[in-house]
Amino acid sequence: MAVPGQLTFARRLGPTARLAIWLAIGVACVVLDVRYQAMEGLRSGLSMVLHPVRVALRAPADVANEVADFFTRHRLLQQQRDALLAERSRLALTANTARDLKRENDELRALLALQARPGQQLVRAALLYQGHDWFGQKIVLDRGATAGLRNGLPVVDASGLMGQISQVYPGSSEVTLVTSPGQLTPVMIERTGQRGLVAGLGQGLLELRYMPSQTDVRVGDRLVTSGIDRIYPAAVPVARVTRIGRPQAGPYLRIEGLPLAGLERSRAALILVAQPVAVQQP
Amino acid sequence: MSMPRETGSWSRVLGTLALAVGLTQLPWSGWALVVRPDFLLVTVLFWVLHRPERIGFGWAFCLGLLADFQDGAVFGQHAIAYAVAVYGVLFLRLRLLQFDPLRQAGQLFPILLAAQLTVLLVGWLAVRPPVGLAILLPVLTSTALWFVIALWQRAWHGKGMRGAE
Repeated sequence: MAVPGQLTFARRLGPTARLAIWLAIGVACVVLDVRYQAMEGLRSGLSMVLHPVRVALRAPADVANEVADFFTRHRLLQQQRDALLAERSRLALTANTARDLKRENDELRALLALQARPGQQLVRAALLYQGHDWFGQKIVLDRGATAGLRNGLPVVDASGLMGQISQVYPGSSEVTLVTSPGQLTPVMIERTGQRGLVAGLGQGLLELRYMPSQTDVRVGDRLVTSGIDRIYPAAVPVARVTRIGRPQAGPYLRIEGLPLAGLERSRAALILVAQPVAVQQP
Repeated sequence: MSMPRETGSWSRVLGTLALAVGLTQLPWSGWALVVRPDFLLVTVLFWVLHRPERIGFGWAFCLGLLADFQDGAVFGQHAIAYAVAVYGVLFLRLRLLQFDPLRQAGQLFPILLAAQLTVLLVGWLAVRPPVGLAILLPVLTSTALWFVIALWQRAWHGKGMRGAE
């Protein structure tokens, strides 16, 4: 029975109308985020909520590594027992150990060489989480603004440049990798000193852009940061040239390279905190 | 509804959603990361299918924003995609409930594909053109995940489901 002032058929909005409303809100979010960077508050809020979860959930992986290490050590012990019986396998094991130590030594040397640079402070950080954005490759490190980090700082590992900090939260920070599409890094060819610009291609590849077709560049050349941008220190290894194409059309070479840093492997990273450079006003 | 009353309790809904967030937060890397199924989307769609009065557009949108944060993507990218997927499930809901797990997963594949294509499109328009089509791989694993969950659910509530037919 119809009561005056009350809807006879109380209707909710249909799914299509509700979809339209949420789509409008979603588009507004995208525009606010991309055009006006207005969502940073939400980002850091979520980061504070999820940070403990991430730290806690890293524990199972750590335990798995520990267990794997335990079994490796066990196997190693068995090998050593066999080595006492057979001279040859003991020598092989020694050679393995020596090679391992050499690699470790090389890594330490690389780290020390970076440390020796003047005016730089190093912040050690561990990989917390690898992001899964299809439009830019990012990793999350477990140090943030409380450790003195800020946007734009370069991140390296023992073998080369990993990327640049693109977002700082109180206890963690996001690093955009050098291979991320659209990420530009000023470099020079180590052998000739010619400067250029490296751009990420995604899928773990880099491209050296805008090299005239008569440029002296060979497969195997190392690309290191040129240090003229006030962001990256000079001579940090970035990539090795793997392919050079000479397109018929266009004045530039098509040069591809692979990053030298272990972007997929490294679990530890160093952030180079340089003293802020005073830029002279014109 | 075919399921007993207590299966859709708030604690269970929130528990599974929290589990999905946790699974996503595990330190995935390499190939596992590329094919990682969208746990959150599958969970949301599962509850939209079975408890549409509890989980709807609003929840899906907010959890989409969370997914955007997790991946370091633009805010709104996954939120829009999740809303589209919820619409697809609501549209096909009565139909989906009729099917056995395999066919249900088959019916869900286009919905998950539409959601991922929305992610692709929004990212394309808002950020830059995508690199490669590996972005579509999680659709397959998400479909497989749905199949496993539907199988498990039928084994759990087998009689009720069959009785509803």
